[in-house]
Amino acid sequence: MFELFNSQVAVENIGPLLGGLLLTVELTFVVITLSLVCGLFVALAGISRLAPLRWLVRTYIELIRGTPLLLQLIYVYYVLPEIGIRLDAFTAGVLALTLNYSAYISEVYRSGIQAIAKGQHDAAGALGMTRALAMRRIILPQAIRIVVPALGNYFIGLFKDTALCSAVSIQELVFTAQVHAALNFQYFTLYTVVAAMYLLVSFPAARLVNYLERVTKRGYRRRRA
Amino acid sequence: MNTGSRPMVEVEGLHKHFGELHVLRGIDLSVAVGEVVCIIGPSGSGKSTLLRCINHLEVAEQGRIRIDGELVYRDEVEGRFRAHSNRAIAAVRAQVGMVFQHFNLFPHLTAIGNIVEAPIHVLRKPRDEARRRGMELLAQVGLADKAEAYPEELSGGQQQRVAIARALAMDPKAMLFDEVTSALDPELVAEVLTVMRDLVRRGMTMLVVTHEMNFARQVANRVIFMDHGAIVEQNTPERIFGSPQEKRTRDFLKTVLER
Repeated sequence: MFELFNSQVAVENIGPLLGGLLLTVELTFVVITLSLVCGLFVALAGISRLAPLRWLVRTYIELIRGTPLLLQLIYVYYVLPEIGIRLDAFTAGVLALTLNYSAYISEVYRSGIQAIAKGQHDAAGALGMTRALAMRRIILPQAIRIVVPALGNYFIGLFKDTALCSAVSIQELVFTAQVHAALNFQYFTLYTVVAAMYLLVSFPAARLVNYLERVTKRGYRRRRA
Repeated sequence: MNTGSRPMVEVEGLHKHFGELHVLRGIDLSVAVGEVVCIIGPSGSGKSTLLRCINHLEVAEQGRIRIDGELVYRDEVEGRFRAHSNRAIAAVRAQVGMVFQHFNLFPHLTAIGNIVEAPIHVLRKPRDEARRRGMELLAQVGLADKAEAYPEELSGGQQQRVAIARALAMDPKAMLFDEVTSALDPELVAEVLTVMRDLVRRGMTMLVVTHEMNFARQVANRVIFMDHGAIVEQNTPERIFGSPQEKRTRDFLKTVLER
């Protein structure tokens, strides 16, 4: 009898697909780590007192926001070699995704920094803190706490966006499924397993973000036993 | 009160605009070491702006400020201002304590954390020394048991007392108080004023912008009445409250004291 979901095919392909999932997760963690760090520096540069630095950041952000991520990936992988910059697929993927996510995440940080009341800057300044010290000790700790839920959502978004890396032949989850489906034509089975794998990771991650949202809304209080 | 004649805070010819608004119109003021000066006046008279200029929270377009005899924040070279380095400005601000109307405690730090933050990171005091001094100051403002509480777990009066302790932790040469009881529920005002009276007894140089006329009457060495960005009248509290010379002072006192 004809069956849409062929469990034997699913079992046979689970190994390679799990390998793809592993690469997807790896890509996600590498890119989010880099983007959280780079995004912070971009945000700080964007509110710098040096006007040229601010313009540079604005240009970069508008460039990234105004073009599709898929195009950015293709650009880094296929176009850069023409000017002599040749990167392997994984590095190209990491670079393109990091450039993209750093831009968006920097805007998240910026909104968090700007959400801190002026009185906090006043108090820090009146205590003799320089702008940099006040930023590091007073403003950023509060701002980052505010933006943790938003960053969590970007994290989940990135996990799914890594699928675009299949276009530059990184053997992540979707790419692996494409390769195997081209051999056995079991589209339904393979892509259903792939969807299940994405959900298996992103659903708990979304719950975690919800939890973080509740925690950060609670305000600053002593931990009670 | 034993007030020396040596000036601690001096302001000379201070002018400040907010856009079209001329909020300070040539302020001259000198506060001696150990002196307590209260500034009163209607809202919008420039009292708070004057205080904020003294602590460089606002930058005046014209005029000079001296702290303990030193010209601060900028030099004047051939009639043109040259701002001091950010580091030099920060060093001066570290010597002048400021307490705000809305407390402005750091919400992510505990009471003691708020107090030791600047001594550790600005004055580079050892952590345990800063903490020991911080606990003393918390005891001084009557909050020894609240060291580990976060600001939002404290009442407004308690928060303001922590804010005073935080400023005192820098061993300031002078303290600036900017309407520090105005945001408090009436029943919480007294505890903050008690702490301030205690500071007066300890000989702190204080410049206090306030609406608390009784406080001004009882503890000030001198009361200044400001209106429309200028000092209208200044005198001992007895004279200002007993026999004000200027009509504007009389009108103002009439409205506030009749409430």
